[in-house]
Amino acid sequence: MSGVAIVDYGINNVRSVKNAVEYCGFDPVVTHEADAIADASHIILPGVGAFGDAMSNIRARGINEMLERHVREKGKPFLAVCLGMQLLANTSEEHADDGVAHRGLGWFDADVARLMPNDPALKIPHMGWNMVAKERNHPILANIRDSNLAFYFVHSFAMRCRDAGDVVGFAQYGQPVTAIIARDNIVATQFHPEKSQDTGIELMSNFLRWNP
Amino acid sequence: MLKKRLIPKFLLRDGRLVKYVRFFENERAAGNPVTTAKVYNDYGVDELIVLDIVPSAASRGRVVDIIERMSEEIFMPFTVGGGVKTLDDVNMLLRAGADKVSVNSEAVRRPEFLREAARTFGDQCMTVSIDYKKINPNHASVFIDGGREHVALDPIEWAQRCEDLHCGEVLLGSIDRDGTMSGYDFDMIHKAASVLSVPLIVSGGCGSLQHAIDALEAGASAVAISSMFLFTDHSPIKLRSHLLSRGLDVRASSSSRN
Repeated sequence: MSGVAIVDYGINNVRSVKNAVEYCGFDPVVTHEADAIADASHIILPGVGAFGDAMSNIRARGINEMLERHVREKGKPFLAVCLGMQLLANTSEEHADDGVAHRGLGWFDADVARLMPNDPALKIPHMGWNMVAKERNHPILANIRDSNLAFYFVHSFAMRCRDAGDVVGFAQYGQPVTAIIARDNIVATQFHPEKSQDTGIELMSNFLRWNP
Repeated sequence: MLKKRLIPKFLLRDGRLVKYVRFFENERAAGNPVTTAKVYNDYGVDELIVLDIVPSAASRGRVVDIIERMSEEIFMPFTVGGGVKTLDDVNMLLRAGADKVSVNSEAVRRPEFLREAARTFGDQCMTVSIDYKKINPNHASVFIDGGREHVALDPIEWAQRCEDLHCGEVLLGSIDRDGTMSGYDFDMIHKAASVLSVPLIVSGGCGSLQHAIDALEAGASAVAISSMFLFTDHSPIKLRSHLLSRGLDVRASSSSRN
């Protein structure tokens, strides 16, 4: 049990996440097989795409049950990125049919809502390098100075946590944008650490060496 | 708030890094794109733009190979373009590791392609690249096919139309200033930035630290730079620390992290 599993749920290009894990000195498997996820010590849920499609694929492949068992019950270190983070919420309003929100994994008491910056000059998607201000410390931010917490974001929807204690950091984009959440062995980022240069690589490296 | 960006722009010809003046004059070889990209990565640039300037079926394979190799070791956003005409072209570059794909001539010839690509891959994936040249002292016009074909479009009106077609950002380049290091076209930048709401990347003419400051203060979201980084001692590290010291909102540099 020493591998890194990158969960493949069929809609996203995971090449850059895989490259970043390899760059950190690990040999990841990209998989949706129960055995491979069972063998992994660390699990990463990447994500680009639409919430509804992602959840359908995750349920169709039984990935939700695999994650429930290995992340929630067995407590393996788990990192979710971008859409992967949003999937941990109760619901998302992204492309909601007839106003009925899509259901997520529900690991965090949160919903996912469209970004609505208070300045009309701010474009959606929120795309580019932005600073994250810490609400608290977390092991994945070890050895990263607060002044260097700039990360690459690309998203139109964002998570809103009801429990403020779940939030590790916010970005500001005409509204507070939930940027990092964490509880126990679970951590998730709205930004793409695999596209955030040396700071992102440092964060991923911290995660891959994290044993909560 | 989003940071202003410093973006080296790579021109590829048959997979080699090259640089010209005003698009056609004074070709200079500028090294291996992958090793040069690694150097810039160490310098902590914010993004890379890679454009295949003489695209063909054979060069596309080389570009895909180069992007794949870059994405194994370099972890920042890549914009890739040159000869992009179909959704398959966009998909191939995204799968190779591009985060954004730049479209130029085909957007002019077939504007609906831009809309279709934005709908398929997301607005944020589509950058429109616009090259323009002064055709008389008071009037600039768009040129396509690597600056070879004049089309009767005003660059700013065309940029606004591209925004309506859902491009995610605009890369606006002056052919007259390309490679001259004589300064950006600040009037054009000012006009374009004041009417566009998508991010504006400006290209063509950067030769000094002050040129970059002036372009960002004129409203550009990002400065694309080739010659100054390739052929002078103004490195991205030096430019970034200068911009920071002048109060511009750029990322802290690798060098200032030490």
